[in-house]
Amino acid sequence: MNKVLLLAEVLTVASAFIVAFHPNVLYASVFLLFTFCGVAAMFLFAGADFLAGAQVIIYVGGVTILILFAIMLTQWLYNIKLSDIRNKMLLPGVLAIAVGVFLYRALHQMVATLPPQTPEALEKFSSTPKTALIGQALLGSYLLPFEAITILLLGAMVGAVWLARPE
Amino acid sequence: MNHLIQFSSSLQGYLAVGAILFALGIFCVMTRKNAIGILLGIELILNAAGINFVAFSKFRTGLIDGQIVALFIMLIAAAEAAVALAVILRFYRLKQTIDADEASIMRN
Repeated sequence: MNKVLLLAEVLTVASAFIVAFHPNVLYASVFLLFTFCGVAAMFLFAGADFLAGAQVIIYVGGVTILILFAIMLTQWLYNIKLSDIRNKMLLPGVLAIAVGVFLYRALHQMVATLPPQTPEALEKFSSTPKTALIGQALLGSYLLPFEAITILLLGAMVGAVWLARPE
Repeated sequence: MNHLIQFSSSLQGYLAVGAILFALGIFCVMTRKNAIGILLGIELILNAAGINFVAFSKFRTGLIDGQIVALFIMLIAAAEAAVALAVILRFYRLKQTIDADEASIMRN
């Protein structure tokens, strides 16, 4: 089982590298799909079954397809050969590595302050279905953020339709 | 190899993947000229944040609050992608390009 998790993490990281470095944005967005699938598998192994399903539906089925449509509606057909990456890579590279290392170190420090779970508790957490718990929490203690999100989604839908309207 | 498998299923493994994804997202945002490429980088960054929330939810707190925050991140990312792509389509109609450097109408 743990080998599958390792495979998912390698898939995630490898395709994220291609997303960041491939000069053609079309191929980059196709590999973003594999990154999302890898992250969904990682969610599954972290006991987040509902989130893994939502990740596949929203990201793989929604966002990636939307991005591919946007690429094909704009520039892809006209200049497929054009490289989309800037020539200056040194400063962004150094900065990105610094941010990544800092983030890992800082979170590592934070981990030390929290008590770890026992193996039995981890096993129990992984084997509990989460859909009912998440539903109860969303309509219970998280009701206000939930309602705010619904208004945000409505606003985003209306805004997107208005922005993309014909002349 | 055994050590690697052990590491991948620990909290540190999840944090490492999250940090790498975050760094790659920052790099992608900074190096792309293409507005859609910048959006790809932002999606990577949001996914990294979601991984960290889910990992802490399982390995430290044992509660589902982290998963709910990750769910909210996912919904906000979807709304953001829809609006951003509508803006990009609009911009393309205006300028016939989606090069982010050309978006300088509001400068001076």
